[in-house]
Amino acid sequence: MIGLGNISKAFDGIYAVKNLSITVGKGEVFGLVGPNGAGKTTTIRMMTGLLKPDEGTANMGGYSITDEPLKAKAILGYVPDRAFLYEKLTAREFLTFIASLYDIEKQEALRRIETLTAVFGIRDIEDELIESFSQGMRQRLLFSSALIHNPEVLLIDEPFMGLDPFGVRMLKGFIGNLSAKGVTVFLVTHSLHIAEEVCHRVGFINKGLLTSIKSADEFRTIEGGLEGLFLSMGD
Amino acid sequence: MQMLFKLIKPKLLSSRNSLNARVLLRRAPFFAIGFVFWILLYIGTCKFLSFVRGIDFAGEVLSAKLLSMTFFGLTGFLVLSNVITAISSFYLSKDITFLLTKPVADRDILRLKSLETVMNSSWMVLSFIPPVFLAYGVTYHASAVYYISISSAFIMLVILTGGIGISIAHMLTQFFPARHTRLVLLGVGMLLFLLLYFTMKSVMPRTLETPEDIVRTFMSFNTDSPLLPGYWITETVLPLLRGKGPDMFYSLVLLSNCAFFLLLSSAIGRRLFRKNIGRLQPSGRGPGNGLFSGIYPGRKSALPYKDILIFFRDTGQWSQVTIIGALVMVYIYNFKSVPVEAMAELTPFIKELMLLVNMLMAGLVLSAVTARFLYTAVSLEGQAFWIIRTTPVNISGFLRAKFLYGCTAITLLIVPVVFFTNLAIRVTGGLMYVSVGTALMLCVSVSGLGTGMGAIYPKFRYANIASVSMSLGGMAFMVLAFSLVVITLSLEAWLFYVSQAGLDLAGKIQIAVCLALIGAINAAAFFLPMKIGAKRLSEFEA
Repeated sequence: MIGLGNISKAFDGIYAVKNLSITVGKGEVFGLVGPNGAGKTTTIRMMTGLLKPDEGTANMGGYSITDEPLKAKAILGYVPDRAFLYEKLTAREFLTFIASLYDIEKQEALRRIETLTAVFGIRDIEDELIESFSQGMRQRLLFSSALIHNPEVLLIDEPFMGLDPFGVRMLKGFIGNLSAKGVTVFLVTHSLHIAEEVCHRVGFINKGLLTSIKSADEFRTIEGGLEGLFLSMGD
Repeated sequence: MQMLFKLIKPKLLSSRNSLNARVLLRRAPFFAIGFVFWILLYIGTCKFLSFVRGIDFAGEVLSAKLLSMTFFGLTGFLVLSNVITAISSFYLSKDITFLLTKPVADRDILRLKSLETVMNSSWMVLSFIPPVFLAYGVTYHASAVYYISISSAFIMLVILTGGIGISIAHMLTQFFPARHTRLVLLGVGMLLFLLLYFTMKSVMPRTLETPEDIVRTFMSFNTDSPLLPGYWITETVLPLLRGKGPDMFYSLVLLSNCAFFLLLSSAIGRRLFRKNIGRLQPSGRGPGNGLFSGIYPGRKSALPYKDILIFFRDTGQWSQVTIIGALVMVYIYNFKSVPVEAMAELTPFIKELMLLVNMLMAGLVLSAVTARFLYTAVSLEGQAFWIIRTTPVNISGFLRAKFLYGCTAITLLIVPVVFFTNLAIRVTGGLMYVSVGTALMLCVSVSGLGTGMGAIYPKFRYANIASVSMSLGGMAFMVLAFSLVVITLSLEAWLFYVSQAGLDLAGKIQIAVCLALIGAINAAAFFLPMKIGAKRLSEFEA
């Protein structure tokens, strides 16, 4: 479902990501972890089309994000690490706007908005302006908007940022449900213990290079788990 | 003062760090356009001054009057600009929360914000006015003392108007409910409108039947009140232009007032700033059921739907609509009072000449409004632009939606203005059709130019959207848009001249060439920036 083939990106001649190749199957939850500045966000931004790879290919559901961007984006859902939204819209108006961009039929869109606002616990504040939302509420709204078109691939940059423990628990369960329904989830995070719980495989990236990929069976049996592996990267 | 330098340092460092060869190269066309504009403004002012000074008996008086009117206008513009900028800078800017949570005294925050306000609200005037001062100096063969004197007087005017504007901004924010800052800004707009309206009304005589009435009317614009800063500056520099020494009395009046308003704004700020800030916390209240809530837009109308909702809730946008509305009203009122019959004695073709002036004025309004609302349309997405980039939105379609939404609004403003002002100067028939048609065409081409250039030079990180239209790109757009207006109208004027001279073969060829040029230039002004803008935007790396 996700195919990254030798993608590279350099800024001012310095590689942020170099020759990165990953394949993620349908319904799989893949986590990309690494220290600050390792190239995680650059990778996910290339997958969304926000950055153009200098080399290599990024395919989503068989569509190249550079050659067939509209088709690729139609099956993508993206939750960024920083929640820049239209501050002067209400949550409901924002979700309506996003649903329109995906050309979802009105009744269906309204039904999905009802469901998602209830699931993510923002039903009570859906008619308030986004400018008054807390970080956690923004994150919940971002998830609702990323899922409104039933994406086949969900890309998440720091999914648990700003969420309270209830939100984290709800989101972990939700990611599991999405995976069970066949949605491919690609997440970038620093929360190693959560990645350990939800990911089927985890890739380690450092200085733009993918250093290893471990399956859940592997990292759960290693002493110290993901954290042990992560810390050993610094050695 | 030491703390002030510390607070300014990050801004200076940010500016320095953002300057590199690539940025300078990218900005080179803007500097070139600005430089050409300076030269044209200088030549135009020189020629105009020579003409005015050459008029028998009244030449010198009119020249002095023009200088006084320039400073009168500048004072009004700078005060208003400072009020609007101060409200944004002191109460709505993004770094306020950061500053308030650091061990920085209010006094230093107020100093920093005052400096920001004065700089941001006056840099545009500062960058456009030097050729005018230079032209005066060269025309009068003034000595170096004149240049030093007018530069320092102008800096004092900038500080003085800054002090007045900041004081008014603090007081307005105090008097209006804090949650409704829109009302504060609307109040500013209305104040301006009333001020302009009554000023115009008071200076217009009851009858304008002879050319003498017109000259008398021109002279009766009461810009020479000894209570106004413009008068102090005029009185300071005029003797220098005439080869005499400076008038020290008015220099001191200017200096003392400059110091007074600076201290006043500081005192008012210390008294009201904290109180006002405390009342400006965002509320959790919803906007209520508006006109557009409950609508489910289709894919094609999703972007205008979102833009309209945001527009009606954005206080910054509203204030400027009010100001533009007020200026347009004054402009129509002005034209309504033009004594066409009396002026016919001064020159033949007065109706055609007035029509040309009217179209130029409308073109100026069109360029300014487009700079503010269409040039900024793409940048208005702000840091939420990632939403457009990650959803299946075609960037060309996105630009077209921005263009259609803005162009419709601008056409609804400009075309009726042209129509009604034409009626006021009694233009009817063929000339009316041509001018309304031209206005319509210019609305489309200038809107396309604005949307396209805004996409070529987007600025998604800004403290205030109005600052985008005042950026280098915005100013370059203004100059290009107005040049498009001038070229189009010049070609039409030539067309009119040729058609009046009789239609032989050479005349017909000239008319055909003019029409083809008008069509080609306007089409290029629309299509090229839209196309380049769409390409740039789709390659934009956020």
